[in-house]
Amino acid sequence: MQNLVSHEDWKSCFSEVAPGLLLFARQWVQSAADAEDVVQEAFVKFWRRNHKIENRALLYAAVRSIALDFIRRDSRRARREATAVRETDEFSEPQFEFEDDTQRALAEAIDFLPCEQREVLVMKIWNELTFAEIAGALGISQNTAASRYRYALAALRNTLQPQ
Amino acid sequence: MNDLSQIEKELRKLRPARPSPVLFERVEEAMIDCRAVGRRGDPARQPRKPSGPRYNWLSLGFGLAAAAVLLLFAAVKMERRQESGKEIAQTSREPEAAPLLNRAQKSTSPDKFVPAGASRLVYNTRDEGLQFASSSGQPLRRMRYQTHETWQWRNPTTGASLRVSYPSEEVVLIPVSGE
Repeated sequence: MQNLVSHEDWKSCFSEVAPGLLLFARQWVQSAADAEDVVQEAFVKFWRRNHKIENRALLYAAVRSIALDFIRRDSRRARREATAVRETDEFSEPQFEFEDDTQRALAEAIDFLPCEQREVLVMKIWNELTFAEIAGALGISQNTAASRYRYALAALRNTLQPQ
Repeated sequence: MNDLSQIEKELRKLRPARPSPVLFERVEEAMIDCRAVGRRGDPARQPRKPSGPRYNWLSLGFGLAAAAVLLLFAAVKMERRQESGKEIAQTSREPEAAPLLNRAQKSTSPDKFVPAGASRLVYNTRDEGLQFASSSGQPLRRMRYQTHETWQWRNPTTGASLRVSYPSEEVVLIPVSGE
């Protein structure tokens, strides 16, 4: 069990988890720059407190907590940004790298998922957390995490394959 | 179920947007700052001293204050008890009860109850002020005593005992010497 402080190789750890963490942070904050602020604060805090990198649930919980604090702090600014983002939707920064239209449609469908399903999906698919870790990070039961995940997949399937 | 696993595969193909290179630089700066602060003596990064017991001064203060209050209460209570003992708890085999006891003791027979004791507890004394009786020109102080009297009898043959207690009140006029 290594920890970030002992091996000092935070760069490799961070480059591995950063994309997933940013995507996770983007569930709450609109802009990529704000998401990066949130991730930076959470990761540095996690590192300073000597937590083990294996304790990923704690890292994601920190990102979530800081992102929610960020929203509370800058609620007015966030509202203005949300309005601006809606008005100039074509210029909003994408959360994913698309290769084709199918992937673009899939990414758009993810945006329409309810927040509690989307956060579980993001943690499971792009951060590869177990349901136990997701449950720990979100403060819910494993069964709830698993059912939210299944609901999210079913909702995406229904959106992409209309009958 | 197959549909869901198909969706899962599609989702996994989707790659999250990469963080900007600036982010790595910013995190690196923050890490360096942390290390510098740690070397300067940031308490969060300092190893904890394996020293002796750690005191919670706030709890200790409250504990001492509570103990002091308890001691104060105990002292006040003891003082009051001593004072009330002086004034009220005068249990006496007073001279009035003695002749009665003697009389009863004299007239005993082996199959009857024998007086075994008598007590009179004065639990309240009230000074009702000075009075001038018509017969005497000397002022009198009117004192009211509230008492609790107890009489006890015992049968020496059977060992049975009987006790009677009752409250009583007595008013005494004490002549006041005109100095």
